[in-house]
Amino acid sequence: MRFLLGRLAFYVVAFVAAATVNFFLPRIMPGDPIQIMFASAGSQLSMENLNALKLTFGFIDAPMWEQYLKYLQSVFTGDLGVSIKYFPLPVTELLARALVWTVGLVGSATLVSFTLGSLLGALAAWRRGSLFDTVVSMLSIFFSSVPAVVISLVALFVFGHSLNWFPGGYSADPLLDPAFSAEYIGSVVYHGTLPMLTLVTVLIGGFAVTMRNNMINLLGEDYIVMARAKGLSESRVLFWYAARNALLPTFSSLAIAIGTVLGGSLVTEVVFNYPGLGNLFYQAILARDYPVIQGQLLIMTGAMLVSNLIVDLSYVLLDPRLKKA
Amino acid sequence: MRDLVRQLRHNRKALIGLLILLLIIGAALAAPWLTQYAPTARVGRPHQPPSAEHWLGTTRLGQDVFARLIYGARTSLAVGFGAGVMITVLGTVLGIVAGYRRGLVDEIINFATNIVLVVPNLPLLLVLAAFIGQASPWVIALILGLTSWAWGARVTRSETLSVAQKDFVKSAEMLGEPAWRIMALEIFPNLISIVGINLIGSVIFAVITEATLEFLGLGDPNAVSWGIMLYNAQNSSALTVGAWWDLLSPCVALALLGLGLALLNFAIDEISNPRLRTGSRIQRWTRLVRAGEGRL
Repeated sequence: MRFLLGRLAFYVVAFVAAATVNFFLPRIMPGDPIQIMFASAGSQLSMENLNALKLTFGFIDAPMWEQYLKYLQSVFTGDLGVSIKYFPLPVTELLARALVWTVGLVGSATLVSFTLGSLLGALAAWRRGSLFDTVVSMLSIFFSSVPAVVISLVALFVFGHSLNWFPGGYSADPLLDPAFSAEYIGSVVYHGTLPMLTLVTVLIGGFAVTMRNNMINLLGEDYIVMARAKGLSESRVLFWYAARNALLPTFSSLAIAIGTVLGGSLVTEVVFNYPGLGNLFYQAILARDYPVIQGQLLIMTGAMLVSNLIVDLSYVLLDPRLKKA
Repeated sequence: MRDLVRQLRHNRKALIGLLILLLIIGAALAAPWLTQYAPTARVGRPHQPPSAEHWLGTTRLGQDVFARLIYGARTSLAVGFGAGVMITVLGTVLGIVAGYRRGLVDEIINFATNIVLVVPNLPLLLVLAAFIGQASPWVIALILGLTSWAWGARVTRSETLSVAQKDFVKSAEMLGEPAWRIMALEIFPNLISIVGINLIGSVIFAVITEATLEFLGLGDPNAVSWGIMLYNAQNSSALTVGAWWDLLSPCVALALLGLGLALLNFAIDEISNPRLRTGSRIQRWTRLVRAGEGRL
């Protein structure tokens, strides 16, 4: 419990750190911060709306620390301002809409790549030096060092444009109305498959390499030798003695990998024109819609912290040593 | 250190990786002799497919893709290695100081490291770049270097913690050597493989991230680099009009550079952690053992 409370306090501090970046960035840039933040608004915003926006971002007639507190107050009460491009939609609403798609995409891709990558890594370590190991290791290294942009673009070129197996954009057929029908859900799955598989390709190598290296280090342990000496079957030793323990550090690397996942999905969504957070971010950058850009950093940090917390929680369940602490 | 170099020479992965890397560096340095075209000049009709005249075709603006590719390699390599060195130096110094000094210094550095690790890197960089506007490759390298040291610092710190317990460090302390000397001359040389892995990993990260930022439109569109090539190709809808050479050339180049660096990294990992090695020598040895001729 102490362990979890400590983590929780740490995450709050981390979130404040991200908000602090947001607060100080426009203020340390050369020029007038208000001008920088709302330059793209032009004549769209009425004086009244502009003043409301200024208040949200802490541009008040007060010393810096008071401005800072005002901004933190807005952030923690869930007020991230309104979008300038999609005026008058609040940033939180835009983000919430996009978040659904990203969570679906990122969640399924992480699940598939973690399971498959760990399995491949474990098997490769088990048959160390075999052809299977060489192929898995080489492909893992290759895919984890090629930019997600490149993998996405090539996937779109080959499977979207040349072979025409998958659609090259959107989360569902734009002609269909969102509904809880087999047709709509089928369309969502069909449109999501290629971005999902692309993201799996981006991620799987990292998980496979981590798992393989953990396994190899573990395979020299005495209890593995003992398990074999007892005459247990190969698959029992592999899955119940070695892989089970090797999974623990892999699992904690998952918490950090989530940052990579979010970064990867950002690019993949842009390439596939998928309406998630990444695409929203990209559109906001093009339009210099700073309230949305800053909101993105906060929500992505928030997503990262929540998934870290989930990993922490399950870590306590998986590693009995932590329960006592 | 010399040992590391010697072992690298006998590792096939390292050799292939090094070969790829040297090939790209060579092409970048020899760019003016490899092509007659300037990378920004309009030298042909737009979107011409590859031909004897233009080896990799032309862009929509009629620039030679091959010329842009090899001149762009200069930028991508310079940003990659520049930012990579910066990330590694910061991470190593902070890691060693935190791990050796302990106490309050350690607490502060460790806390900062953990914070930087949980704030997702790419969104943070995007926000920074968005405020800077059209960032030149050098600005991108600088912000990459300043924001990405946390991972290296954490790994170096935990390794320093174990090295600092070794006898030779204790005896150096007993002799009254100053702390900076112990950190630089006793501890650092024992972390050289970690630093190597960190350096190459950081270079890969910097190359990838620069390309990503530029692809997303946060770079200077007039720069000549692989990321800007991707950005221009995407913006001129190269795929839709069938100009695959425009888009795939920088893709292949980035993949190749990533592969070369990753092979080097894997090789250093294997050398510093011999259990991971599955190379020919161990196989030969096991075969000899099986044949009953094994000698230790």
